[in-house]
Amino acid sequence: MATVATDHYRAYAPRPFTRAERDSTTILFGGLHWRIERILQAVLESSGYRAQILPVATKEDLLTGRETADIGQCCPTSFTTGNLVNFLKKESTGIGVEEVNKKYVYLTAGSCGACRFGQYHASYELALRNTGLEKFRMFLMAQDNLDQNMGDGLDLNLPMTLGCLWGIFCTDLVQDLEYQVRPYEVLPGQTEAVVKESIEYLYQVFRNRPAMSTKRSVLWHLTTPYFARALREVRRKFSAIEVDRLRVKPKVKITGEFYLQTVEGDPNYNIHRWLEAEGAEVYPAAITIWMDYLLRIGLQRFEDYSGIEKHARLKLALGRLAQGTYRLTVNRLRRAMGNLPHETPSQFELRRLAAPYFHRNLDGGEGDMLVGKTLWSYHKKKAHMICELSPYSCMPNTMSIGAMAGVVGRYPEILYAPLEIKGDAEVHALSRCQMILTEAKKRAQREFDDTLQRTRLTEAEVRAYLQAHPEMRKATYLIPHDGTAAGTAAKLVLHVAKRMGR
Amino acid sequence: MRSAGSPPPPSPRNKLRIGIPRVLNLWNTHQFWMGFLTSLGVDPRNVVFSSDTSEEQGRQFGKGRGTVDCCYPVKCISGHYGELVFGQKQKLDVLLSPMIYNLPSFLSGHVAKTLTCPRVMAAPENIKAGFIKEQDAFAEAGIKYVSPFVSLDEPRLVPKQLFAGMREAIPGLTYEETATAADAGFRALREFSDRLRKKSREVLEWCAREDRACLMVIARPYHMDPGIGHEIEVDLQAYGYPILWMQYFPIDADLMDWAFGEDIRAGHIKSAFDIRDVWPSSYSSNTNEILWGAKVAARIPWIACVIRMSSYECGMDQPTYTPVQQIVERSGTLFFSFQDLDSTKPSGSVKIRVETITHYLEKYAAAIISRKKAAAPPGCPLRPAA
Repeated sequence: MATVATDHYRAYAPRPFTRAERDSTTILFGGLHWRIERILQAVLESSGYRAQILPVATKEDLLTGRETADIGQCCPTSFTTGNLVNFLKKESTGIGVEEVNKKYVYLTAGSCGACRFGQYHASYELALRNTGLEKFRMFLMAQDNLDQNMGDGLDLNLPMTLGCLWGIFCTDLVQDLEYQVRPYEVLPGQTEAVVKESIEYLYQVFRNRPAMSTKRSVLWHLTTPYFARALREVRRKFSAIEVDRLRVKPKVKITGEFYLQTVEGDPNYNIHRWLEAEGAEVYPAAITIWMDYLLRIGLQRFEDYSGIEKHARLKLALGRLAQGTYRLTVNRLRRAMGNLPHETPSQFELRRLAAPYFHRNLDGGEGDMLVGKTLWSYHKKKAHMICELSPYSCMPNTMSIGAMAGVVGRYPEILYAPLEIKGDAEVHALSRCQMILTEAKKRAQREFDDTLQRTRLTEAEVRAYLQAHPEMRKATYLIPHDGTAAGTAAKLVLHVAKRMGR
Repeated sequence: MRSAGSPPPPSPRNKLRIGIPRVLNLWNTHQFWMGFLTSLGVDPRNVVFSSDTSEEQGRQFGKGRGTVDCCYPVKCISGHYGELVFGQKQKLDVLLSPMIYNLPSFLSGHVAKTLTCPRVMAAPENIKAGFIKEQDAFAEAGIKYVSPFVSLDEPRLVPKQLFAGMREAIPGLTYEETATAADAGFRALREFSDRLRKKSREVLEWCAREDRACLMVIARPYHMDPGIGHEIEVDLQAYGYPILWMQYFPIDADLMDWAFGEDIRAGHIKSAFDIRDVWPSSYSSNTNEILWGAKVAARIPWIACVIRMSSYECGMDQPTYTPVQQIVERSGTLFFSFQDLDSTKPSGSVKIRVETITHYLEKYAAAIISRKKAAAPPGCPLRPAA
């Protein structure tokens, strides 16, 4: 029987991270994919911080997360909580808990919306307490502000924010090209080596970004050829890869909850690599698009308040200008990559496509964008199949998936694979995916055969043409997408036919 | 005379029959909808709420309509929709299922946001999919389905949202009358809440006067649905303990000053409705109220016991399990939690637990009240004579 305590319960309030600790304290972060994590590390380091990337979360981390926090967490939180706890436990064994508390702080993403992902401070605290690390400092970074108790140790100023943003743009483009090239590489492992080299090169590019004032930094980022030049160099590195794009492969677009669609490893059963191993070409989900969605969601408030709130229209116009600049910047960098990476779909188009099935203002997760992306891919023949990664117990994502029942009812030909990812039910999820992938493979083959028939070409003739045109066997040769075929091999046939005047 | 094939003329408003599923945040906003529709000229007798949730309802009307596995309070809505579409003796003209984005919480202005749960706000889109995936069941039944997206905690925006969402369903609707009706809705909701809070205060004053224990239920609004909360609090009340629902706790200034004044002066919080001391990410309305309910229960001596209810797979409740329990228990108040509530009432285990709870109350309630009184500041407004 509890007795009355004179002091009431208070939530976890970490000791602030101060400016004086910058040189001796390392900021831990993670939960994205390795390319962007490496670049974020460069941005943090160039801004005068010590930064360390947490290892990719594993199944062991999942079990630790479940064990140390309240039951029923969504799967991404179990992974990230366990990942942090296991890392700290390992460090504590070496240098002791006190030293760990001094030496590290953890910075993680929260959210400022309805999703409980931003309300996990108590769960993290419980996990830390259950591990004897209750004094460890952990800070949640919401989408619109930094944890107010953080102190002055981390100054999330504009030059650093812009560095992170440009880092996302660049690594999204590299990742996109990587996934277009690897399934077709003639020399196995070459793409992997080029990507690693490219990311290390970009690490130096971002590490050596010139330091400047806030105002100058905005202007500089928007106008400098610095990043475009770097991406042209990346493109040059990719051009050394020889590809055989006549391998018929289904194109699988990854969508879903942000963490699961982004991370590459145990948390999503390494689905990107698994799909490739099963013979697919993966169309990865860009962080850039997710951020464009967040911008759109933010601006919708001003749309709604137009005519009600003073200056709402002006704010909307300014916001649209900012969003336009965002997209222009991405396109500019994409041009530097020879327009090879996929384009960023218009958020307005995604919204329009999703409207009959999911209201545009329902936020908290990826909302109507998931429905919109599926329909966009289907109507524009961007992929043969959609693989939607839904974390076990994710609340917003299940709603989008539920609404997709209406979409699939209307368009039964869409190959849609919503996978519930629990972290420890791999066989179930992958076999489900494989069933739909099998159908996608047949569809890709059918599309290829039909294209050959339509163009009155044979595969041998196309091969001969490619043999005679070595520039077309380079990874950086652009195969146009005219919206009549989704598969790379079929598009190549169409392109060759056009060049041959068929 | 209308030509063959042309649509029938719309029903005049006073003849219009509108069905509303009795689910989720309709449990704490139904008075708004009644006030709103009545003001528009809809006959209140023609507003049909679906029945309380039941397994039978789901079996009879919702079977095969589910689109995704999620918590029962959302999943059961298929049965409610089905009952309104297929189970009415007198056909409905409109099925109104609002997507409520945020709520007019008493904590508004003191917390970061008052959003509804992501599943709750999107549930109508999800459930609708089960009724249109093969053919449009609403259209086949001659029912207009309307699902206005509405931010009830942003009154300036509400008329615009409801006008856009309802104009196809209410004949001749104008923006101006929508605005007037929204005001009427808010007024009705406010008056209803005030009435219940007044009643709760009377209960508390009686407890203080008699030095008797009462219980507080901390749950989401839809746990008032007998098919979701399974009337656990009714079983407890049968033992003679008054029950207070956290949603309708009195928030009079004198009581709030007494309960939270010390915390404000110590700088832990900025107002009686501020929960930053226990829950920094105060985005979700019902979650915020649950945390606040735990705080207030910890500070009121005559609340000797807190009953927490939570539905199976409730993601919003999950991060709150430990803090809510700690807030309550640290004050010496009894805490009992009914978690993972689902479609079937676990009658046997509820009976055993109710007996356990009442046993503890009989044994410890007096001591709990006495200790909490000793720890509380002087001058309790619930006992003016004390």
